[in-house]
Amino acid sequence: MTSRTVTIDPVTRIEGHMRVKTRVENGVVVDAHCSADMFRGIEKALEGYDARAAQQVTQRVCGICPYGHAEAASLALENAMGIKPNRNGQILRNLIVGAYQLHDFLLHFYTLCLLDFIDIAAVLHYGGGDADLLRLKAWVAQELDSEKVFPAAPFLPRYKGNYAEDQELNITAIKHYMDAIPVLADLHKMVAIFGAKAPHPTAIEAGGVTTVPTAEKIGYYRTLLQRAERFVHDCYRNDVMAVGHQFKDYFQQGKGYGQLLSYAYFPDPDGKHHAFSSGVTLNGRYAPLDMQGITEEHAYSYYQDAVSGALKPLGGDVTPIGWQEFQKERDKADGKYSWCRAPRYQGQVMEVGPAARIVNTYLSGANPKLNQLADAINQQFGITLSDYPSVMGRHLCRYLSASLIIDMLKEQLEQVEPDKVAFVEAEVPKNAVGVGLTEATRGSLGHWIETDAKGRIRRYTLIVPTTWNMSPRDRAGQPGALEKMLIGTPLKDPEHPMELARIIRSTDPCLACSVH
Amino acid sequence: MYYLSEHIGRREALKRIFKAIAAVGASQFISFEDILAAEAVPARDKPHVIWLHGSSCSGCSISFMNIEYVPVIDILTQFTRVVFHPDLSLATGEQVPALIDELVRSKRPYLFVFEGGIPEGMPHACLMADKPITEWVDLLASRAQACIAAGTCATMGGVPKMPGTVTGSMTLEEYLNKRNIKVDLVNLPNCPMKPEHFVYTLLHLIKTGTFPALDNDKRPLKFFAHTVHERCIFYSSFQEHRFAQHVGDDGCLLKLGCQGPVTKNDCLITGHNGNTNTCIRAGHPCIGCASRQFPRQVMFHINREASSGGGSST
Repeated sequence: MTSRTVTIDPVTRIEGHMRVKTRVENGVVVDAHCSADMFRGIEKALEGYDARAAQQVTQRVCGICPYGHAEAASLALENAMGIKPNRNGQILRNLIVGAYQLHDFLLHFYTLCLLDFIDIAAVLHYGGGDADLLRLKAWVAQELDSEKVFPAAPFLPRYKGNYAEDQELNITAIKHYMDAIPVLADLHKMVAIFGAKAPHPTAIEAGGVTTVPTAEKIGYYRTLLQRAERFVHDCYRNDVMAVGHQFKDYFQQGKGYGQLLSYAYFPDPDGKHHAFSSGVTLNGRYAPLDMQGITEEHAYSYYQDAVSGALKPLGGDVTPIGWQEFQKERDKADGKYSWCRAPRYQGQVMEVGPAARIVNTYLSGANPKLNQLADAINQQFGITLSDYPSVMGRHLCRYLSASLIIDMLKEQLEQVEPDKVAFVEAEVPKNAVGVGLTEATRGSLGHWIETDAKGRIRRYTLIVPTTWNMSPRDRAGQPGALEKMLIGTPLKDPEHPMELARIIRSTDPCLACSVH
Repeated sequence: MYYLSEHIGRREALKRIFKAIAAVGASQFISFEDILAAEAVPARDKPHVIWLHGSSCSGCSISFMNIEYVPVIDILTQFTRVVFHPDLSLATGEQVPALIDELVRSKRPYLFVFEGGIPEGMPHACLMADKPITEWVDLLASRAQACIAAGTCATMGGVPKMPGTVTGSMTLEEYLNKRNIKVDLVNLPNCPMKPEHFVYTLLHLIKTGTFPALDNDKRPLKFFAHTVHERCIFYSSFQEHRFAQHVGDDGCLLKLGCQGPVTKNDCLITGHNGNTNTCIRAGHPCIGCASRQFPRQVMFHINREASSGGGSST
């Protein structure tokens, strides 16, 4: 038997600082530890801040999905206030959040993941007449011919691996890799039209959105949405499908526990019905969500054990350990190994994200359109819902989400009432508690707020998608969701653990979010 | 010249880019000559760039990708040599410290771009390749031709340094001073950093070998000479004491908590996202995201005493 350690540190093309350490026996991963390597302590720092400041501060937890925090913070405070935005406020918020999600889906697929599957070197054999591709080809050729120390950086070096061999697919995908960048900028403009700017949209507040919509803004948004829609339908759809067909074995890789949790997301203009359902899927069975089941543990996280056990949201503070203690823990065989804490649902490890959102909504039966789309895809690939929590399943579910979101944005954009205020004023409540739940790009996001006698923040809790997915072990020793996805994976070449990189990136980790 | 194989010549392509720049009113930022000059730099002189994240959120990196005036791919391939960027590089795992080692050993000049805070008081609060980020900054900043501190966290402190945090987060400048590392530095505050500021600074460096003129806080005067207030669309409302009392009202946003008078920035000239919008034009007071006081404990007032008017609950 051969046994060795395979470590990926840093994991790049994700958000933040991540280290993955695995033990490989006879070419198969038998154990995995995922470490979140950055801590800022934002929850604790918020204490004493004006409750409205939480929106601006918590969205800075993440520069890729700030809108999710802006939305969750506003929902939490609105919950404490006992108010809801008016129709215009709800629609504008959806238009900001929806455009941002499309941005993140495309960023994830093209910028962060695609070149794990597509062979960038294929551009050297390009024989067509596209100016962008010819320029890239000439550049790569020139770089590789030169004596440069870092030829073709940042595209090389890379892991060796089984990149796509279909030349046509490679070329199309490389072209779309480049074409996606201005589309991403357009989607951020759509966010800015109503949200002020992106990243970090300012205008979402508890009460709605401060922007007063005008016919001009609506028209500009419509123009950009049409362009984005074309890219999603003509490029994103085809590229995801093509990569899916080419790497069909990845519907069986990175499956993990298959236990899925999601929150309700994308409300109608009245804020009543959501396009995506909340719920949990355990052992293939869907059940409504029991909020009391959510706790966070830190047995293997870099926090003192003085407070221990499973804390409920707003249920208590944890204190980070110091440098000396940190080093002791790192030297231990079974020590603490991550800044990320371990959220659990009724003690179980849950996966959140696009697969959870699609599967739970499908099983809830609340959105027939989603079920039709999923059925068609299942038939095309010969897969079932149980294959959605997998590397390729997660990519497909992002496309499904994007496709549904575009239709809702088109519909709701036409329901905006121009020149009508999209904001409801309310005082910051004193000694109040509120919860805000939504789905960020990467999965279920919850904010919990408690205010003091002056309406300032007494306590704040964030439980973030990547906290669920990237959690370390809990008190019971259960590996986190991503750790479980890695265990059992066969590696072709431990020096180039491409299989692990593909699994890790399929969950779209956001480390800054996970620890906050 | 490998451009000859294209349908359109390189100069023609650049002209088109510049026309687009002029069309959005941004030629004040980047002149056609700037772009041509950068283009004319021989390959061997194109600056190597290495970009690292400290206690950051990647927002500045994502913001960089929104640059419209010069295609991102051109910045990566034609104007600079990006040895490493955490969100763009295909290199991962052990390849990353190996690249950095090689860069240091090669003794080639390079630009060091740093995004995020530096948790000096708690080095284990930010690690890369199993080493505290402080060690990477020591290694890379001391040997760099120049450093670019990207965004409010790296320049003013921002969220990782907000009162109540315990990591002892420092800006790049504070950290370099503490370690007595002498190196040229430019600060580009804004949360997130504006891509135009970054690309202009980069092109200026490529063209002249120096930073643009800086103020005492090492910010380019071109962008940070004036407060938001001085250039505000509501400046005349302010002078005439016409203040918005409620969200959606016309008038100066001072009473809703605007930080424009105490924040140097060019938002009202060039906006965000290719001048699509600004916070103030979106009816939200400036939250002062490029200032040392960001984030403030209160950033948005609802004016409770004011008589009810706009923004009623409908």
